[in-house]
Amino acid sequence: MIKIKLKCFSQVKYAMGQDEMVIEMKIGSTTSDLERIVRQRSEGKLEHIDLSIAINKKYVKDEVALNDGDEVALIPPVQGG
Amino acid sequence: MITPHDLNLWIREGRSFIAIDLRQIDQRDEMPLVGIDHVIADASGIPESDQEMILICQYGLVTEGLILEKGLKNTYSLSGGVEAWNAFLADNLDISNWSRQVILEEVGTKGQRKLMNSRIGIIGMGGLGCPAAQSLIGAGVMNLSIIDGDVIEQSNLHRQMLYSANEVGLIKVNVAKEKLKKMNGKASIKIFNSYLDDENGHSFFRDLDVVIDATDNNTARRSIDKFSREYNVPMIYGGLYKYEGQVAVFNIKGSCSYSELFPSSKNNNENCNEAGMLGMLPGIIGNIQALEALKIIIGISPNLIGKLMIYDGMNHTTQTIRL
Repeated sequence: MIKIKLKCFSQVKYAMGQDEMVIEMKIGSTTSDLERIVRQRSEGKLEHIDLSIAINKKYVKDEVALNDGDEVALIPPVQGG
Repeated sequence: MITPHDLNLWIREGRSFIAIDLRQIDQRDEMPLVGIDHVIADASGIPESDQEMILICQYGLVTEGLILEKGLKNTYSLSGGVEAWNAFLADNLDISNWSRQVILEEVGTKGQRKLMNSRIGIIGMGGLGCPAAQSLIGAGVMNLSIIDGDVIEQSNLHRQMLYSANEVGLIKVNVAKEKLKKMNGKASIKIFNSYLDDENGHSFFRDLDVVIDATDNNTARRSIDKFSREYNVPMIYGGLYKYEGQVAVFNIKGSCSYSELFPSSKNNNENCNEAGMLGMLPGIIGNIQALEALKIIIGISPNLIGKLMIYDGMNHTTQTIRL
């Protein structure tokens, strides 16, 4: 198993109820697997929300394999004004 | 205090006064004081005189303090000092109002000139656009273009500080222009009373050096992103959600674009009408956008080119993501 430090921003933070948590995943898991787990745990609160992903504070465009100890940020676009 | 403009009038009117350059020899050698008959002295050598005196230093700060400290009568500090005076003589540009930022090594008279000669666009004159516009006009931006098709609503007032309760129902860009002109009557404020669209986008973007995205939805941002790339105008993005704000600089020196970071075209997130918003947060984020615009114009780094900064107003932390 690998441990991933998840950083939650904006709606993700409110959906998960915290801004940081550790998630255990199988070796070989990817960013898509992590996103799927987070969406499941959010109980539908992230259903219509797109998420951008950064690993160790670097934005990643495509699906990437995760390593033990990675810090993964889930960032939704926000509105504003 | 006396501004370079007023001092120039005094000289042209032949008014009698004593000008004293209080700078050290190395400063005088590096930037001689020209165009004024003056004497050289140090702070202890200021003569007693019934004539009006003008004290001159490099940035106008030392002389301002000296006059207060010694309680000197009929004595004025040249606002902005030799830096402002020489800039005034060279370009007829009075930078004395900005002496406190010109003194910063990264800004200087050269940076101030760049700022004053720049044209900055702000799209959206709401919670982000108001503080950004106020800060940029305050910093000396003389050419600002603003676009918004909205009217002022009561629910805007807690965070859109350019507007007052008696202006509810009035057109935002008209009121904003009036208020910004009060801050600096010489600034040119070009207004577009409409939302950005495929037609007006061309005339809005054509002359810009930097554009601030102060909108509140994904559709508008994608449109700004498109024009920003087409006209090669860097886009300073700002977004908000409850206590959190995002800022990034897109489309410059090969950096990431908004559409690359957020590929979906869906408008699927709550705006501040649905999610709620304290007035201070857009004030903070709008000011950071203005700061980044200033840095891009002057050429100051580090900055947020190729980075997304996320600010958490609840515990005052930031996280910066490389894009």
